[in-house]
Amino acid sequence: MSLKKKLSAAEFVVLAEMNTPKGVDISELVTNARRLKGRVDGVLIPDMDNGVMRMSALGGGALMRREGLETVVHVYGRDKNRMALQGDILAANVLGIQHLLVAPAEPMANGDHRDAAVVDDLDESGILKMIRSLSEGVDLAGFELRGLPEFTVGCAMAPVADDAALAREVENLGQKVAAGAQYIVTPPVFDLEAYGKMLESLKEFDVPVIATVFLLKNVGMARYMSIHEPGSCISEDMIRRIRKAPDREAECIRMAGEAAAELKKMVQGVKITTLGWEHRLPDILSSAGL
Amino acid sequence: MITAVRKPMEEIIACVAPYDRILLVGCNECVSVCSVGGRKEVALLASALQMHFLKQGKTMDIKEITLERQCDPEYVEELVNLTDGADAILSMACGCGVQTIAGRYREKPVFPAVNTTFMGASERQGVWSERCQGCGDCVLGITGGICPIARCSKRLMNGPCGGSSNGKCEIDPNIDCAWQLIWDRLKALGLERRIEDIMEAKDWRTSRDGGPRKIVREDLAS
Repeated sequence: MSLKKKLSAAEFVVLAEMNTPKGVDISELVTNARRLKGRVDGVLIPDMDNGVMRMSALGGGALMRREGLETVVHVYGRDKNRMALQGDILAANVLGIQHLLVAPAEPMANGDHRDAAVVDDLDESGILKMIRSLSEGVDLAGFELRGLPEFTVGCAMAPVADDAALAREVENLGQKVAAGAQYIVTPPVFDLEAYGKMLESLKEFDVPVIATVFLLKNVGMARYMSIHEPGSCISEDMIRRIRKAPDREAECIRMAGEAAAELKKMVQGVKITTLGWEHRLPDILSSAGL
Repeated sequence: MITAVRKPMEEIIACVAPYDRILLVGCNECVSVCSVGGRKEVALLASALQMHFLKQGKTMDIKEITLERQCDPEYVEELVNLTDGADAILSMACGCGVQTIAGRYREKPVFPAVNTTFMGASERQGVWSERCQGCGDCVLGITGGICPIARCSKRLMNGPCGGSSNGKCEIDPNIDCAWQLIWDRLKALGLERRIEDIMEAKDWRTSRDGGPRKIVREDLAS
């Protein structure tokens, strides 16, 4: 069953995040993608993830389609104005990419091209409206399109550190859903209880929620995120569990697998993010029983 | 200076219509020089608003004041005894002034009566043109005193483009081609060889691209 059908039939979906290379050597990307065939419902390709210049998501998505995988590509406004965004979205459709995730971009100051100019012509709600307009056959200048693109379009929820931030973010998500988002991808989950409570706030939108399973790769990463991302809810117990494990890497995989398995009972899908450890995606899926 | 143009009357009216008592605040700096938000313009706007609301059968209480500088907290403090008698504040300063007032008098709604437009210079009586975009890394020293960022429609750092014709820009025959001006000026200075030096990709971090900017002068900051 296609990703679109599964989403509308309230069936559980699994997305694997795969980054494009910084360069043109696609061998690793293709090898890792082939190992996922039949095991995931789609591959999610971020665009310039973490503000790092790399092969575009459009290119990566087209490559994944060539490999026979359903593909979700990130769309954001930092690097492209409405002309470039619309052109790439039309191209994505023609290249067989049927799913878009409108996401926030990392500030340019945090990336690897810090001196680059920022575009930010449209924000996330603006992009969602633009995609809806294209799907209805009209571009943002009001001109008619020849042939209508069709997409399932999602939006991303930002991490929240406290109740006030959650209230603001729920407000934002309301705007995004009203602007055309058909599903919500939530931030990495490390505390299932807190996440369960947070989910209550999203019920009003009545759209599928896809949780992010984030692979912590080591103690340092877990510690860093626990300090610098207050909303991450990474507990000392989690950090201790990795530190005390005889095989820390295997433990990290197990923890991601456990999170995915538990989240299957709570939401309509998971997106598994490994930040460079895409070769371990099959192990996480196996660990989760997916 | 910072230039501005007055907002359409309908927009200003829509902002203040729900209120009965308005404090209309002008600024004696840039907006006064470009004749949009100084003492005279404050008086004209106050009259226009009063006439409009009188026609609607409503008496609008409008207090007028023009501060020396609306972007300076010291001068904005002068409003402290006036805000109590107002339901809302209407500012005729640039966005910097509006925000200074909004930051100081948080309990009052503040509306801009002008659209802040650009940093520019006066060409002749009643005509101002954009001259600077505040990129934070001035190149005027190598471009003959003409800014390619503010004055070239494409912000080209190595121009001109193919759209330059008879010294004019392809987007509007009334706009000078900045790179023609740069060439003419460098030639007049005997520095035309400079045009062959390719400028590297600009570092935009010093501009707005690096996020909101702030200057802290340790020798002056209290």
